[in-house]
Amino acid sequence: MKKLLLIFGVLSLLIFMRPVFGLNSASANTATISSIVQTEEVEEESFVHEAFDGIKQFYNYTGFANATGGNLLMILIGIIFIYLGIKFDYEPLLLIPIGTGVILGNIPFVAGNQTGIYEAGSVLNYLYFGVVKGIYPPLIFLGIGAMTDFSSLIANPKLMLLGAAAQIGVFATFLGALYLGFNLPEAGAIGIIGGADGPTAIFLSSKLANGVNILPDGTTVKNLIGPIAIAAYSYMALVPVIQPPIMKLLTTKKERLIRMKPPRAVTQKEKMIFPIVALLLTTFISPSALPLLGMLFFGNLLKESGRTERLADTARTKLIDIVTILLGVTVGASTQADIFITKDSMMIFALGAISFVIATMGGLLFAKFMNLFLKGDDKLNPLIGAAGVSAVPDSARVVHAEGLKEDPHNYLLMHAMAPNVAGVIGSAIAAGIILSFLG
Amino acid sequence: MIHTMLVIDQISEGYVILITGLIIVFSALLILSLFFKFGLPVLLYIYKIITKGPDKKIKDIPVKADEKFTGEIAAAISVAVHLYLHEQHDNENAVLTIKQARKLYSPWSSKIYGIQNRL
Repeated sequence: MKKLLLIFGVLSLLIFMRPVFGLNSASANTATISSIVQTEEVEEESFVHEAFDGIKQFYNYTGFANATGGNLLMILIGIIFIYLGIKFDYEPLLLIPIGTGVILGNIPFVAGNQTGIYEAGSVLNYLYFGVVKGIYPPLIFLGIGAMTDFSSLIANPKLMLLGAAAQIGVFATFLGALYLGFNLPEAGAIGIIGGADGPTAIFLSSKLANGVNILPDGTTVKNLIGPIAIAAYSYMALVPVIQPPIMKLLTTKKERLIRMKPPRAVTQKEKMIFPIVALLLTTFISPSALPLLGMLFFGNLLKESGRTERLADTARTKLIDIVTILLGVTVGASTQADIFITKDSMMIFALGAISFVIATMGGLLFAKFMNLFLKGDDKLNPLIGAAGVSAVPDSARVVHAEGLKEDPHNYLLMHAMAPNVAGVIGSAIAAGIILSFLG
Repeated sequence: MIHTMLVIDQISEGYVILITGLIIVFSALLILSLFFKFGLPVLLYIYKIITKGPDKKIKDIPVKADEKFTGEIAAAISVAVHLYLHEQHDNENAVLTIKQARKLYSPWSSKIYGIQNRL
């Protein structure tokens, strides 16, 4: 601690002395040239004056002079994100990079020195390029594909419908955003928050609400990538808080106790065929989602082919880690206060919360609806419907935990993974549809 | 007036997208699930028939023996493996210490009963 103080003291002394020395030599020269008579006293006074000027100028460049209330608020939010990630373990892999990014993006600075994320040519701006052009999300999807085991979905294909049912959140939010006065592309980008899928949300908002596209009536769309990404990721992290009350509300105790029969074993051949067939079917239906779905199933094929273990291993560890770091920091940094703190952002946050609720309800209610047609041990535990919002694998874990609360021997994780991964596919398809309508 | 028209238009278009979007998402995943429910088993069955014909019983599968692989080669390999695993002497501790041996009396080491000693 002492050492730290010493170093800090020396550094600050150096910084404050620099203007004194620099101006000292200059004024000394002029003094000798003009007249020898000039007294030391005058010179000394000018030193002090110039030194004070230098310090003042230095101060004007510091964060203390340029800080606005918005900056400080956002820095506080960044610290809260980091705190939540560390203390409560809410998706720390996302919240800590994003929280740090929020702090980075809100350090006050003087514009024009290529510092900020929105200034062309700054380093952060180059890293942000991957977000603006939608490069990072497909790479993340590659990693997710290489991680995901689709076998529970293959064993019980009807669970795919739960993933589709939860997408009602996307379209309901879309409509809500329209009613709140957003125009069509912006509403589409906001709606996808209901897909509970960060990469998809960033991908779609970078295509629709990027601040570059021009609407038919001549105005440019707003840049909503930052608010949408932050909303999507923070609600994903808050899934363990948002979902359980809705689950309790919409299901009876008897339903929560339903035990599902264990999924059948799936052969390697089926696992290999799945990514290829699913790729063909989904991208033929929704070609706009090609970058997402293509990479997702490509990653899964790498995993299941059994011949490319090295590639799959890289995709699901190193590659996805690198991209997550870059994505988290830049998305966080894009919340620069003067651009982020607007009425629109607040509305997006409200809509995002509602969309998560609607998506969860959609999944739960559809599971109950499906139960009307199923008999005996084919019946579904409606809790797994809530996993239809993607948020892999968090919502599946929440479902599992809720199931265990009612019956300590009812392990729902495997069953919940099926609608969970179906939700990823579903929200990517939904993004593709919105993109093809509005892009 | 134009503005309100625009808003109404937008929202009606929103409903169109809502309905069609939901239908497409549902149908896409429905097709996928139907395929894996019914299509895939058929596909796998056809594949099996094409490649292997009906399943063979284990006793029908002929055992192919390698003529060159004799018992002597097997013995040589197994000896090598055995030597490698059990007879290694390379890993001995290089630190030498002189231990003090316990001095127990034994007539064999007795000075009294030496060969040279005559009683």
